[in-house]
Amino acid sequence: MKKLYSVFKQGIIFDNPLLMLMIGLCSAIAVTTNVSNGIGMGMAMTFVLLFSEIIISLFRNLIPSMIRIPVFIIVIAAFTTIVDLMMKAYFPELSKSMGVFIPLIVVNCIIMGRVEAFASKQNLPSVIADALGMGLGYTWVLVGLAAIRELLGNGTFAGIQVMPASYEPILFFILPPGGFFVFSLFISFNIWLKNKMEASTRKKELVSKKEAA
Amino acid sequence: MKKTKLGLILMLYASIACASLAVVYAFTKDSIERQSEIQLQSSLKDIFPQATTFELVEDLTSPEPNIKFETVYEVKSDNVPLGLAIKVSGPSYGGNATLLVGIDLHRSIAGVRIMALNDTPGLGMNASNPTYYVDKAKKVTFLGQFEGKFLTDPFEVKKDVAAITAATITSKSLTKIVKTAGDAAIAYMDQKVMMASMEGEKPAGETSIGASPAVSTGSPTGSPIGASTGTAKESAKPQAGGK
Repeated sequence: MKKLYSVFKQGIIFDNPLLMLMIGLCSAIAVTTNVSNGIGMGMAMTFVLLFSEIIISLFRNLIPSMIRIPVFIIVIAAFTTIVDLMMKAYFPELSKSMGVFIPLIVVNCIIMGRVEAFASKQNLPSVIADALGMGLGYTWVLVGLAAIRELLGNGTFAGIQVMPASYEPILFFILPPGGFFVFSLFISFNIWLKNKMEASTRKKELVSKKEAA
Repeated sequence: MKKTKLGLILMLYASIACASLAVVYAFTKDSIERQSEIQLQSSLKDIFPQATTFELVEDLTSPEPNIKFETVYEVKSDNVPLGLAIKVSGPSYGGNATLLVGIDLHRSIAGVRIMALNDTPGLGMNASNPTYYVDKAKKVTFLGQFEGKFLTDPFEVKKDVAAITAATITSKSLTKIVKTAGDAAIAYMDQKVMMASMEGEKPAGETSIGASPAVSTGSPTGSPIGASTGTAKESAKPQAGGK
């Protein structure tokens, strides 16, 4: 159980797909102009990641290593299409605002990377923990990015006006350059957080060693 | 031999994936179609609130090769024609965009609604955002500015059509789709009115058409749509070449 928790935790800060592994950035910059898009994209992506990892992990001994990449792509593409169809059928408004980015989950490096590096070697429980952790790590960054960009660039939060009417939106933050700007601040914040957490665990180890001595 | 085996395994995975996709597709198909039908019907009602019937029109096609008229409706309220509604798709920034364009008998746009658009979220997608105003003071949305706009206007982005900030291509493409549908509808209506008057019938909507100066004087701006003496096809040709 402890091992599963540590796998789950990895994706949120230490191995955050966007801030530490730095993969799948293009769609992250593109959709984070609006908080509801961020949440929708995060959920869709987590769903695809979870089910692709589960399938690959279950069949990992039945996939010859020579054709593993095409098999991964087939599995990921199938789940992405399922999400796309489901969203069109049951959440038409969300599907409309996400536009082309749902089909593009297929080529999101995070899924390919996690399937190749993790799911094809691990058993089911740790794979589920990894997918949920990575998905949550992806989603919180998207929502955070989107909240700041939407607030500064449009004066709204999830489409609701929060800034006073006199506030002139800074369009720069909605455009891709502003996205990179906010994104780099997130990276620095994450590195700071990581160092801080590592320092505190080291301190604890030192203390426990001293007590033992 | 080994390669054949690998190929067969890959085929097996692909077939399983296809089968499961087919199941999901069959499962969601009705719901997706219903959603788009509901969307279409509510948009039609939204543009023409007084309308009671929408009759399919078969003989109106787009003069532009890359803009397609998917369905054309003649909008009527108790057999009194109100105008035309065209579901039209054409290229935009992120692939094809589908719009519903309503044209009334005053030779103006009754309303435009988006059926499908795949442009950049936060930029081009603002075309479908009901709270994104191109004119903040008057709270006019990008599509809202077409409402009541006469087809004799030039429809030029940044001149008489306000653009969406940072989405000029979307603005231009959507404007062009609206203009194409509007011009074709006017040409079609002119042809119908002419045919009706040749048969000696008085079209029910004549009073409102007569109120428009464009009919009596031809086209004040010399736009090819004013060539109301020709058939729809003839008047559509110079229009396509003129762009």
